Amino acid sequence: MHIDVKKEIRQSGIGRAGVIILVLVVLIALLAPLISPYDPLQQSTDSLLAPSTSHWLGTNHVGQDIWSQLLYGAGTSLLVGFGVGIISLLLSIIFGVSAALIGGVYDQIVMRIVDAFIIVPMAIVAILVAAYIKPDIPVLILLLSAFSWQGGARVIRAQALSLKEMGHISASRVFGASGLYIARRHILPDLGPILLVEFIYGVRRAVFMEAGLAFLGIGDPMLVSWGVMMRDAMRFSYLDVWQWWLLPAGVMLSLTIVGLTFVSHAAETVLDPRLRGAEVA
Amino acid sequence: MSTRRNLATYGIAFLIILGLNFLLPRLMPGDPLTAIYGDEALIAMTPELKASLVERFALDQPLWQQFGAYISSLFRGDLGYSYYYNAPVIDVIMGSLPWTLLIIGTSLVLATLLGIVLGIESGWRRGSRTDRSLLTGLMCLNGFPDFFMGLLLLIIFGIWLGVSPLSGAMTPYSGLSGMALVWDVLKHMALPVAALTLAQLAGGYLLTRNTMISVLKAPFMLTARAKGLSQRSLKYRHAGRNSMLPVITMTGIRLGRVVTGALFVELVFAYPGIGYMTYQALLSRDYPLIQGIFLVVAVSVLIANFSADLLYPRLDPRVSYAY
Amino acid sequence: MLEIKDLHVNYGRAGILNGLNLKLERGETLAIVGESGAGKTTLGLSIMCLVEGRVSGSIQFQGKELLTLPKQEMQAIRWNRVAMVFQNVNNVLNPVHNILNQVAEPIIEHRLSSKNEAREKAGELLERFGLPRSRFSAYPHQLSGGEQQRVLLAMSLANDPELLILDEPMSSLDVTTREELGNLLQQMDGDCARLVITHDLDTASRLSQKLAVLYGGRIIESGPTREVLRYPRHPYTRALIRAYPNMTTVKDLQGIKGRMTRPVSGCAFHPRCTQAISICRDKVPQLIRDNERAVACHRGGIITLLSTVNLSKSFGSLKAVDSVNLNIASGETLALVGQSGSGKTTLAKIIMGLHTPTDGSIYLEGSKITNRGKEFYKRVQMIFQNPGESLSHRLTVLESVMEPLEIQGTGTKEQRRDKAIQTIGEVELPRTEDFLNTYPHHLSGGELQRVTIARALVMDPDLLIADEPTSFLDASTGAKILKLLLNLQEHRGLSILHITHDIATARKVSDRIAVMLDGRIIEEGPSNEIVASPKQAYTKRLLGSASALRPT
Repeated sequence: MHIDVKKEIRQSGIGRAGVIILVLVVLIALLAPLISPYDPLQQSTDSLLAPSTSHWLGTNHVGQDIWSQLLYGAGTSLLVGFGVGIISLLLSIIFGVSAALIGGVYDQIVMRIVDAFIIVPMAIVAILVAAYIKPDIPVLILLLSAFSWQGGARVIRAQALSLKEMGHISASRVFGASGLYIARRHILPDLGPILLVEFIYGVRRAVFMEAGLAFLGIGDPMLVSWGVMMRDAMRFSYLDVWQWWLLPAGVMLSLTIVGLTFVSHAAETVLDPRLRGAEVA
Repeated sequence: MSTRRNLATYGIAFLIILGLNFLLPRLMPGDPLTAIYGDEALIAMTPELKASLVERFALDQPLWQQFGAYISSLFRGDLGYSYYYNAPVIDVIMGSLPWTLLIIGTSLVLATLLGIVLGIESGWRRGSRTDRSLLTGLMCLNGFPDFFMGLLLLIIFGIWLGVSPLSGAMTPYSGLSGMALVWDVLKHMALPVAALTLAQLAGGYLLTRNTMISVLKAPFMLTARAKGLSQRSLKYRHAGRNSMLPVITMTGIRLGRVVTGALFVELVFAYPGIGYMTYQALLSRDYPLIQGIFLVVAVSVLIANFSADLLYPRLDPRVSYAY
Repeated sequence: MLEIKDLHVNYGRAGILNGLNLKLERGETLAIVGESGAGKTTLGLSIMCLVEGRVSGSIQFQGKELLTLPKQEMQAIRWNRVAMVFQNVNNVLNPVHNILNQVAEPIIEHRLSSKNEAREKAGELLERFGLPRSRFSAYPHQLSGGEQQRVLLAMSLANDPELLILDEPMSSLDVTTREELGNLLQQMDGDCARLVITHDLDTASRLSQKLAVLYGGRIIESGPTREVLRYPRHPYTRALIRAYPNMTTVKDLQGIKGRMTRPVSGCAFHPRCTQAISICRDKVPQLIRDNERAVACHRGGIITLLSTVNLSKSFGSLKAVDSVNLNIASGETLALVGQSGSGKTTLAKIIMGLHTPTDGSIYLEGSKITNRGKEFYKRVQMIFQNPGESLSHRLTVLESVMEPLEIQGTGTKEQRRDKAIQTIGEVELPRTEDFLNTYPHHLSGGELQRVTIARALVMDPDLLIADEPTSFLDASTGAKILKLLLNLQEHRGLSILHITHDIATARKVSDRIAVMLDGRIIEEGPSNEIVASPKQAYTKRLLGSASALRPT
């Protein structure tokens, strides 16, 4: 079962497009402090200006430069996205692999809990909690991660279970290997492709949730976020400002999510070999 | 991939919901009454009211007794009192729930049907122009968050083209009835439903398409072709019938996502459903209402999942009841 | 009714069917036999026009050319006139529809009856194949393998097709079900032609009247089933029968040397054929008809290597050999069975030229043998009963084995040595210096006999006459020698004339048995037939007194 994830992604046109988009967004996020002309949080009296040479995308209702906000917003989305992605993945691995390897009652209990979390809609819980706690970025990441790892855990557990049954694992057992060794040496490497896919899913969900929560007005008001931009812009939708205020933020957000979708689509063929070949140009 | 969940799972989920609902305010620093009702509400309350509330919810008792009081009040159907709307929470919710159900139900059905059909057609023609454009197109569509989708639709159809109403579920104070009323409602829900449908479409489409691709390689497809069946039979009765199963399985989970989506969409369109209520409650820090909504919504999703689980074996004869 | 001409099916660069020719008449059941990968299923699928890949040639069904038929028409033909019973693998039936609906579906789709009538008919078919009413609403995964096979069969008959293709119809069935199904199929509509595709000779013999053997994408032999199985004409067919464990044949199992590879120039079987000549590598042999049988072989099938015509030898008034007519085919073992004094050894010696016949003649591959020169001895060799005596005690093992080569003057000393050593390895003896320099009196009986065999084989003869080769050996050693001979036959295509008094031995090592009494051949035929149904009294006595382990 020798699959090369990177090759699959490279070969698919969609995958390539996705990677390019993501690289672009990452660059924007990293370079934002360098290339944005203004401090995005700096308010001024020039509010609701149309695009001009000094403000490429104009200003918002409190005189902040939209272009700068757009650039910094990338950082917020990606920070939360990747943060949640990583923590979520770690939790998925820990619970998924342990459930598979330990089995028995532990497995039953963990899976029941996982299933229960899956049924409860993450967003609603996040909103509820955020209404009380008013999270800043670290807390937000933790909060989102807490409700995001369950799906991955299920998939990873299933995969680990089937790997467990394979011959070379039993062979290692016969040599006296401990569970941790087996997990590290045999199961995790073979899980590689799935981990990547689950990670991307996690990032995607988190980017969406962060923007959504910001849009609802929950969250740190000091944060520069595309969601916040869209929320503020919405109140002025009867004016023309939506063209350079609402749209760019929405488009950037959508683009980021689309980029992630594309990459995950290409990576998915790794999981299901039947989807490979004869794929899109 | 059918998930057999047993009652224990639902039980745990229910406990999680209850637990969150119960614990969150009480774990907040400060006076529990403030945490539950919020500062603004408290200002409006008389000391007698405060005292009676403390008594009713056993707020000065240890935690487990509070939980007991909480549970018993739930059983009584008492979800608390909304200070913003000046009415029992349960009444507020029941007033706006039908609107939400309307748009959720419609969009779920539309998105499922359309997603399945498009997925089948796309999978059937895999690699062709149609397939590739559908695939790329829907994946891009998938990238648009519900609220952005809603905003775009609102701007394009509401503001720019001016063909759709900008807010509400009905034209206020119009006093319409009969067909005129129905038409009015439809006009108002068109855009919200469209936004929700478009947002969910890609999920069902992709799942169906992927399943279709593997199903087409199954031996029974060759058998069906050998029987000289028409393209339509092959596509729908044989391949399609098998390919739509995963989407139906996922209905429960997809419902969770729709509900989230409805929250955003109602906000954008000022559609007076549960989502909009939530938004208002968040703005005004009407905690009892927020909690009540959370409870109702979460439990509804649980029930929906449960029903879907019960229905699934009807469609896939390989799966037997787990209960 | 069905005529296939020069059918080529290519998948990528590999040719699956390479110029296949076939004919099937109304009401006939033809079995296509071949090993996996030979292209049997592809053949079935191409008739239904369901095969992927490039197809060329002609498939005529009732006068219509199927390969050029427009899609709509082909769709109408499918199931209505040509139906297929697929190999029963997992998921060959749609898992989400019950079996009654699946059987009724083609009737409804092709608008042959109303929905209710269709279901009625489907029900009847299912019952006919042993599935009771109570199971009509069952789903495929609820059925056993045998039951699924019945559903496939019932389903195939739904639209009363004129041609039914069955792909491995018995593969997933247990014994009793096989019998039932065999009976059911025989009772079926007489007009419906059937094409049975299988690797299993038992299925073929049970279900068909005509047999065609598929190898390398071509039909290489065809004819009435009984005849082909009794007297195969193509080397591959014979080898296939020899490799197939069954209750009819008695000879020990033998394999076919090499394995099926693609692509092959010329005759597809030639790399594995033991009677191949140079033309076999260059040209593809055509399927040539002779009455009801057809063979595709440049040599016309298995050739007759040696034949004696009215061979007689008298010693004074004693007729040791009396008008013997014998044929030994290439690559076969003929056992000559008779008690001492029957004349068998004399016959062998006549063939070897150690006696001159008083009458009759001997032909080697068609040419009459008058003098026996070096050429003859290159092709016909003999081993004797007593290995100790037939080896010179003054020659080492290597020297003995090299002796024929030296006499014949073949090659250089080096080459002779190499050839001798190679042959010594072939008879499973060590090739160490020590062993090669051993003298006969240091060797065991079994080793000695192997040396004589090596010596006889070193010139690559076509025919080996083995006169009671195991009578001086103990049972286990003898068994190994007999096995060695079988293996040598498998690899070299060696024909063996095995002379023995013991019909029990003959039974295990021979394709045909000839019984000799008082210088005459009184009975001759395929070994299993001689043993199972002997005609002559003497043969019966031989069989009666042959070694048996009477357990009761």
